[in-house]
Amino acid sequence: MRRYETIYILRPSLNEEQINTIVDNSNSIVTDGNGKIIELDRWGMRKLAYPIRKELQGFYIFCDYSAEPEAVAEMERKFRIEDAVLRYMTVKTADAISDEEIAEATDKAANKKIVSEETEESADEESSVENDDADTSEEE
Amino acid sequence: MAQRPQKRLFSRKKVCRFCADKEVGIDYKDVKTLRNFVSERGKIIPRRIVGTCASHQRQLCEAIKRARQIALLPYSGSIQG
Repeated sequence: MRRYETIYILRPSLNEEQINTIVDNSNSIVTDGNGKIIELDRWGMRKLAYPIRKELQGFYIFCDYSAEPEAVAEMERKFRIEDAVLRYMTVKTADAISDEEIAEATDKAANKKIVSEETEESADEESSVENDDADTSEEE
Repeated sequence: MAQRPQKRLFSRKKVCRFCADKEVGIDYKDVKTLRNFVSERGKIIPRRIVGTCASHQRQLCEAIKRARQIALLPYSGSIQG
């Protein structure tokens, strides 16, 4: 088992359901190959630093997991086919990970989430400003 | 022999920010920190100017390039645009 983290960017035009199906599909590839999801974080809508396939915004999803290399290859193959995925990137963070380490990392990720939710209010304000910008441009 | 002009002694000693503060890790997802190490045009600022040590500059370089791949940082052009 190796530990990987993948970030993928989805088209902004997708609705909640479509996002969920893509996330579930990629997660099931990991879990089918005896891998484990350590952390799944939806960063949500973000401005891209440069346009990708003419999209200026993207829905970011970050996933930290343990898996075999084959599972990653399969996941990336699916991403390449899937039109809704603008960009993906997988980084290997550890060559080997044991079950105990997985459990520990999962706990850590869960704790981090609780802390970040408390401090998120200020970040929310920032993102809402960005959304306002997007809204006005759509109206035009 | 003509005396050499004295070297400017005013150049402040630069300290690697990551060596000074061990808690700050280099992570490609941490755009806020990475932005300190790219120019307004999005170029990676050389070591002789920012003063990071060799090993941290290498990690930083890797992180910035990863961030560019997933559109967290621009390849070129201003950060806002």
